[in-house]
Amino acid sequence: MAFRLWRKAIKMTLREKKIYVIFTGIYTILIFLTSFFIETTLSAGGGFLSNYFIIIFFVTSLILSLLYSWLVVSRNRRTFATLKCIGWENSNINSLVTGIILFTTISGFIIVIEGLFHYAAIMGYLQSIGMLTNYPSILISLTPVVITFGMFLFVQIIAIILANRKILKVRPVQALKRVGG
Amino acid sequence: MPVAKDVMIECIDVNKEYRRAGAIIRALVDINISIKSGDFIIIQGPTGCGKSTLLNVMSGLDLPDAGKIIFDGENIARSKEDRLAKIRRQKVGFVFQDFNLINTLTASENVEAMLWPTVLRSREIENRAIAALRDVNMLERKDHFPVEMSGGEKQRVALARAIVGKPRVVFADEPTGNLDPQSEIEVMQLLKQINKDYETTIICVSHRESVAKYGDKVIKMDKGRII
Repeated sequence: MAFRLWRKAIKMTLREKKIYVIFTGIYTILIFLTSFFIETTLSAGGGFLSNYFIIIFFVTSLILSLLYSWLVVSRNRRTFATLKCIGWENSNINSLVTGIILFTTISGFIIVIEGLFHYAAIMGYLQSIGMLTNYPSILISLTPVVITFGMFLFVQIIAIILANRKILKVRPVQALKRVGG
Repeated sequence: MPVAKDVMIECIDVNKEYRRAGAIIRALVDINISIKSGDFIIIQGPTGCGKSTLLNVMSGLDLPDAGKIIFDGENIARSKEDRLAKIRRQKVGFVFQDFNLINTLTASENVEAMLWPTVLRSREIENRAIAALRDVNMLERKDHFPVEMSGGEKQRVALARAIVGKPRVVFADEPTGNLDPQSEIEVMQLLKQINKDYETTIICVSHRESVAKYGDKVIKMDKGRII
């Protein structure tokens, strides 16, 4: 049942195109930059500046995730109240919201991984014909991406817990309030 | 000999108060009513008379301060939210004045949404939604989004959502409040049809006098009391 609700969450997220594109875009940039600076730290010792950037991106992603979860619940308060009216339990709505929040982040990861694969393929081809030989053929290795994934997942779990607490406060009777009334 | 109907909902000494701007408002005062299975009840009264509050407590959306609400043999006046949600999913359908359809879902998905948190298979859910949309003459609009529909069409989809779970009771809160006279007739006739075909109990709150003729019984309220 949770799997069905996650599938529906993906469908509903994709139909909210504007918000989905904006948040996925920001997540993609943050995931890329965090992975890049972790790569720098791991491969070349990084130094203070690199660690500083990692913390900045981590905090930014935390703020962004909280903003996104707040937005999802606030914009859909009436929808959730209606769903409660028609018999959805809190756990059902939590599954839906978890699906919406996680899908946006996972989309960002897929785009980053896809981008890194394409970069490696293009650089491999260009270097095989003797072009751009001074540039690395792999921009970011797998380890920093996995570490970033773990960090962002942790942040998402905090956002989901807060969203779930907000959903508990939505009363089904709110669905009966008149629009604009 | 006619078969005696079961009591579907019974309100016993139900009281409900609100606190608004420091003043206590008695929304429901010593309400005692008994609604039988298959009845079509219209609740009428002036604004603020307590009719929507009565609908809320009967449907388990709100709890009374005192008294009992016996819903299909179970006192729900002190039930926990998850229990009430389960009762609503299994036995209740809702129709709202503002339709309350989800804008990111098509007509058929809005109807299906009622059954998503159940153990029914996806195919079965789709079939039931199609049957419900056919009942309200909205099958040809099943792939349309709410923004592409008129008020009357939205309310018919909301009706399909209310009946897709095969409820024992449909609660309708001002279902024609946002509709033109022609759509009002269509929606009320559909409610009457559902009441007749499936023996679903219908409890409809409306301030419009023109709606009264569709009910088997009209309950008039004023200042929180049944008059």
